[in-house]
Amino acid sequence: MSVPHDSVSLLVHRCFALVLTVSLLMLPGCGSDASSSSGSTPGNGSTPSSSSLRSPYTAITGPNVQPMTVNSDFAYGYINDLLTSVTICVPGTTACQTILNILVDTGSSGLRLIGSQLSLALPAVTSGNAPLGECFEFVDSYVWGSVVTADVELADEQAAAVPIQLIGNPGFAAPPFLCSSSGLPETDTVESFGANGVLGIGLFAYDCGPACTAQSAAVPAIYFNCPSASASCTPTSVPLANQVQNLVWRFPQDNNGVIISLPPLDASGAASITGTLVFGIGTAANNGLGSAQVYTTDARGDFMTIYNGKSYPGSYLDTGSSVLFILDSLTLGIPTCAADTAAGGEYCPASTMSYTATTLGFNGASGMVSFSIANANTLASSNNWAFNDAAAPFTSRPEAFAWGLPFFFGRNVFIAIEGQSTPGGGVPYWAY
Amino acid sequence: MKTALAVLMGLWLSAGPAWAILGQQTESVLADQQRMNAQLRTMINEGYRVQQIEAPDGTVVREYVSSAGLVFGVAWQGPKVPDLTQLLGAYFAVYQEALQTPVRRRGPVVVHTESLVVEMHGHTRAFSGRAYLPSLVPSDLSQEEIQ
Repeated sequence: MSVPHDSVSLLVHRCFALVLTVSLLMLPGCGSDASSSSGSTPGNGSTPSSSSLRSPYTAITGPNVQPMTVNSDFAYGYINDLLTSVTICVPGTTACQTILNILVDTGSSGLRLIGSQLSLALPAVTSGNAPLGECFEFVDSYVWGSVVTADVELADEQAAAVPIQLIGNPGFAAPPFLCSSSGLPETDTVESFGANGVLGIGLFAYDCGPACTAQSAAVPAIYFNCPSASASCTPTSVPLANQVQNLVWRFPQDNNGVIISLPPLDASGAASITGTLVFGIGTAANNGLGSAQVYTTDARGDFMTIYNGKSYPGSYLDTGSSVLFILDSLTLGIPTCAADTAAGGEYCPASTMSYTATTLGFNGASGMVSFSIANANTLASSNNWAFNDAAAPFTSRPEAFAWGLPFFFGRNVFIAIEGQSTPGGGVPYWAY
Repeated sequence: MKTALAVLMGLWLSAGPAWAILGQQTESVLADQQRMNAQLRTMINEGYRVQQIEAPDGTVVREYVSSAGLVFGVAWQGPKVPDLTQLLGAYFAVYQEALQTPVRRRGPVVVHTESLVVEMHGHTRAFSGRAYLPSLVPSDLSQEEIQ
């Protein structure tokens, strides 16, 4: 039996408000920080010096370290696409294949591969006797396809027989109406998806979680029974073990989270950068929390941002968001780029602006975040591909800061997975 | 502002039909509440009312209805985007056409046309969105109230 989602979130946000109140009472510096030091100044566009960060970028090496890149080499990619490769194998065999240009996404959980890129025959996950299909939504598109199991290798880590999703695999049933009825674009090809797949390494161990284990009418239309290629698929509940899941928690070790480690950038960006995805938090000599501040999230995977004394409680960190999606033109006092220009809709200030905001965890921890916003059309007209100062309005009603990839440059950001134990205490959390 | 409105709200459970279509009379559509096995609450404000439908799958939909009975806005929150063909009605086509314009970035969806505004954001397990018809929003109501 599931509790209606809204009741849960209301409770959570009430608790969050309480945490905020308590932290304001107990930590006088927190409240005054938030109101007095948030704000904007015309800046020279230089990024905050690494000495002001609690968890600055450091080059990390070791057997638990997977390289990642941002560059324009991949024909269908977008700016600030953080890409890596994965090796997948038929479970229990040495029949393996390495697939390049996989998007690294902290806003989702689980591995999803465009079916056309796969030459292996992977065993289907079934629901009853029927193959299991999944309608998985991103904020701006959906993907449809079957759920299969694979052994997956990243760096020296291996996850055995993990459910993953094949997107748009030929011969599988068509997306049901309950999938397409969102009206979001279906991005089941390499060209439309802009990558060969996505590696979701977010806060959650399972992509849907307990909501999809509920019975009958209470189950969201995410997993489907697909008896044949021609029959229509119907929504079904799925036990956690059969859901598409975060590979990391399935590793035998280094399985409680990851570090996203990306080097700092100049205000004009870079044509190509290499960073690392490090597995485990405090499980090896190279992945300790150090002085990083732990920010726990609410049940939805959100925390709070405070800007100029106003709270944005639905905020999140997301490598899969290309730019910072924050605030609006009026609040920031800068224009957006004209709709018919290269970066239409993003911010286009006359000169690069510097700002500060405060991030606040569910645990009451708070800390300042400095960021810059450059003219997005100037960035777009350069030959660069990685930017730490590209931003766009959130929506016309700002409710959250979506701290996209620009946030991550110059930092080591820790992401702790729900249900796992880490040196940082309660999970899930971000630490930086 | 939200708190002030809450003071004015009357809150009760209703067994009446629910789930209307953007731009249409609430009375003109069939109840979808039963199909969804959903709970309905109605909140009355000055000049408009809000019908909130909570479906068992965790999706919450709010419909903003003018004093003339026209649905001028809808907002949703849940693990998945709801059936927008139904919520947006005739405006679904406007929304779909606007989405055809390629956007070379990954992130929240913003559709602003003369007749329709649609905005969607969120991440895995927590998606939110709203749609409204600027020409039908009561003049004394901030569009921020549709949430």
